[in-house]
Amino acid sequence: MTNVSVVGVDIGNSTTEASVASIDSAGTVSYRGVALTRTTGIKGTVKNVEGVVKSVMWALDDAGISPADLDVILLNEATPVISGLAMETITETIVTESTMIGHNPRTPGGKGLGVGTITDFESLPEVGPGEPVLVLVPHIFDFDHVAQQINTAVLRGVNVTGAILGNDDAVLVANRLSVPIPIIDEVGRVDAVPVGMLAAVEVAAPGQSIRTLSNAYGLATIFGLDPEQTRVVSPVARALTGNRSAVVVRTPSGDVEDRTIPAGSLDLVGAKRSAVVDVSRGAVEIMAEVERVSPLVDVHGEAGTNTGGMISGVRQGMAELSGHDLDDVRIQDLLAIDTHVPQEVRGGVAGEVTQENAVALAAMVRTKESGMKAVAEAVESALRAQGATKVTAIVGGVEAEMAVLGALTTPGTDKPLVVLDLGGGSTDAAVRGIDDKTDATHLAGAGDLVNKLIDAELGLDNLELAEEVKRCPLGKAESFFHVRLENGAVKFFDKPLPSTTYARVVALGEDSMNPIPTRHSLERIRNVRRTAKERVFVVNALRALRAVAPAGDLRRIGFVVLLGGCALDFEIPEMIADALAPYGIVAGTGNVRGTEGPRNAVASGLVASYAARVAADHKPNESAAVRIMNEGVAAGA
Amino acid sequence: MTATERRSLSFVEVGEAVKGMRSDEVVLAISPAFADFFSQTIVGLPHAEVVRQMLAGIEEQEVHARCVRVKHSADLAVLAHTAAKLSGSGIGIGILSRGTTMIHQRDLPRLSSLELFPQSPLLTLETFRNIGSNAAQYAKGESPEPVPTLNDQMARPRWQAKAALLHLKETERVDKRCKPTEVTPDFSASATG
Repeated sequence: MTNVSVVGVDIGNSTTEASVASIDSAGTVSYRGVALTRTTGIKGTVKNVEGVVKSVMWALDDAGISPADLDVILLNEATPVISGLAMETITETIVTESTMIGHNPRTPGGKGLGVGTITDFESLPEVGPGEPVLVLVPHIFDFDHVAQQINTAVLRGVNVTGAILGNDDAVLVANRLSVPIPIIDEVGRVDAVPVGMLAAVEVAAPGQSIRTLSNAYGLATIFGLDPEQTRVVSPVARALTGNRSAVVVRTPSGDVEDRTIPAGSLDLVGAKRSAVVDVSRGAVEIMAEVERVSPLVDVHGEAGTNTGGMISGVRQGMAELSGHDLDDVRIQDLLAIDTHVPQEVRGGVAGEVTQENAVALAAMVRTKESGMKAVAEAVESALRAQGATKVTAIVGGVEAEMAVLGALTTPGTDKPLVVLDLGGGSTDAAVRGIDDKTDATHLAGAGDLVNKLIDAELGLDNLELAEEVKRCPLGKAESFFHVRLENGAVKFFDKPLPSTTYARVVALGEDSMNPIPTRHSLERIRNVRRTAKERVFVVNALRALRAVAPAGDLRRIGFVVLLGGCALDFEIPEMIADALAPYGIVAGTGNVRGTEGPRNAVASGLVASYAARVAADHKPNESAAVRIMNEGVAAGA
Repeated sequence: MTATERRSLSFVEVGEAVKGMRSDEVVLAISPAFADFFSQTIVGLPHAEVVRQMLAGIEEQEVHARCVRVKHSADLAVLAHTAAKLSGSGIGIGILSRGTTMIHQRDLPRLSSLELFPQSPLLTLETFRNIGSNAAQYAKGESPEPVPTLNDQMARPRWQAKAALLHLKETERVDKRCKPTEVTPDFSASATG
């Protein structure tokens, strides 16, 4: 016989891909069929067999080859890395006494600035004429009654300058008053507002933001503050910037504290150097230290701090996943990212929310050798049971090398070539130089971290929805028959849209539309999505390229080919291409064999490398297969 | 709300209801016997307070409200959809005498809805305020969170008989020949100690 039928199988974190090909004795490859299924179990374990068998059978079916004619199945030595995530806030805002900060009711009433002494609603009839007062109204009073009482007081000559309401009644009361005043509502804990203190209420016109209370000198003017006191209130002014309405109460010792939580430090152990860096200093400094001590050998968190808890949580998770002892888990890469999470203000009276700084960490652990030999044996016997009686399973090569070989089949590529595989858990890069030497690196942080950032920054608390936001462009269902897309275009529908999507921002999937149940505007969600992708993928792409580029010089890389699920994303490839353009690099999504897009690179690489060996051997195929298998076993052991 | 005030409500007819031209309005459709033969909901909430709270919810969002009385049907979907079709914004609310309420949009099929509040015994004045507020936010093109409601499995067996009776009384007042009429609410407050 002259032709040998082979199938290359790539077991990835989420998908298993198979490519069927025939190879003649001269080593010429003709590809016959492909298939793709979901990976069963964790990559590199015997549980993968089910998915492998399914994809092989589908691919054979696609190629029109009977299982009995299949000679060789080639598996890859999976990249032995897994990754974990953690996130921790590093600042918190505490309000002592009762300055209301960040409380931004959606419908304040009236407009302007009112300064006066806070007076309880029930004691309003006792206030003498001429006194400037701010009325404080608890929940139990009806808006008609409130308006009536204020009008009566104003008629008596009381100078009512503003009102603070417990209910969502500001517009209702404002519409019923004879003299317009600024009114703030939805103050959850009216009882916590101190009566008898001097305070100021400011409401801006719709679409505007307040001017006086968000200005430190405005506050100083109203309350007659000296320079030292002005310095103390400046965080208050800063916290109110951009609000449509605000209340500031002058209390003897009231203060807003913008404090940094003692988050603890990270102990970065490198091969030659080590460093200790405080997490509260933020992502930029952490990453600078990581780069300085690289290559990392391990990372520890300071015991008894949030950071310590975060690192040990990651470690624990990875130990469980990989089945290693806790002591054997070594963190080999770390990606820190600055982020903001909405948090309720401690000591606030109206459920105020501020954006607190947080640090997200992705860590990557190198596992001990994978169980691919065991998988190969199990695949072989499972396939034989399915009728492929003469099949031999071979661990045909290391994932990174195979990916480069597959990527080189993309039209228009040449060496030196870098493959960037943007996966779910890690960003992998492999380089093949002009001398055919291959080098690879694995970095923490990829698609899962983007999901986590989107989830936290939008306060979704739903990772599946965050994944949708990441994968799909946005739109807003402006009516039941049209959606305004994020690029401004309009899409019309013949049938009415589901009523759950009406007036909402939706993630537009291939054939589904997922409403995003938050008050965030389309622009904000888009911005969060794009910055999350940039902070993870663009940063990691540059990091990965620096690690594999000859002498760390990006200009000496000719071509970058993007592979993996994220290469199919609608905006990540162009973000990376934009970021790499200044270095004169050709970057783009791979098109393996000119037909397969960014898929099937490793499977194709496996077949190509096998064909090369067949051609080099000029020997009967069966014995070549056995010999290569033995080599594979020797290399793995 | 203070306990000393008790309001009564009657609707004054001002003519045939026409389609609104302003896009910042919500239309509230009331059933044939609402604030007429009946004066309170299935659990005794005064119709005066129910309407007052719904209108307040709309007003607080700085949206204009208009009321119509539907006499040709006592079907909630018909009421709400009629209101939506008359509304300049396309958003309408329908309410039955026993309190069952629905927010509708004119482009939706009649038997669909934006928000439905089917368990009338569980609706409170606060819920009615939120219903008005949400309808107004839809009219402004915003995306409000649906009004939170209670769900009680026992509401059905406990209240079904009374609800059926109330519905019977309501349908007795249906006059198929009548077109929807524009009405204005007239609240008269009386201090009853």
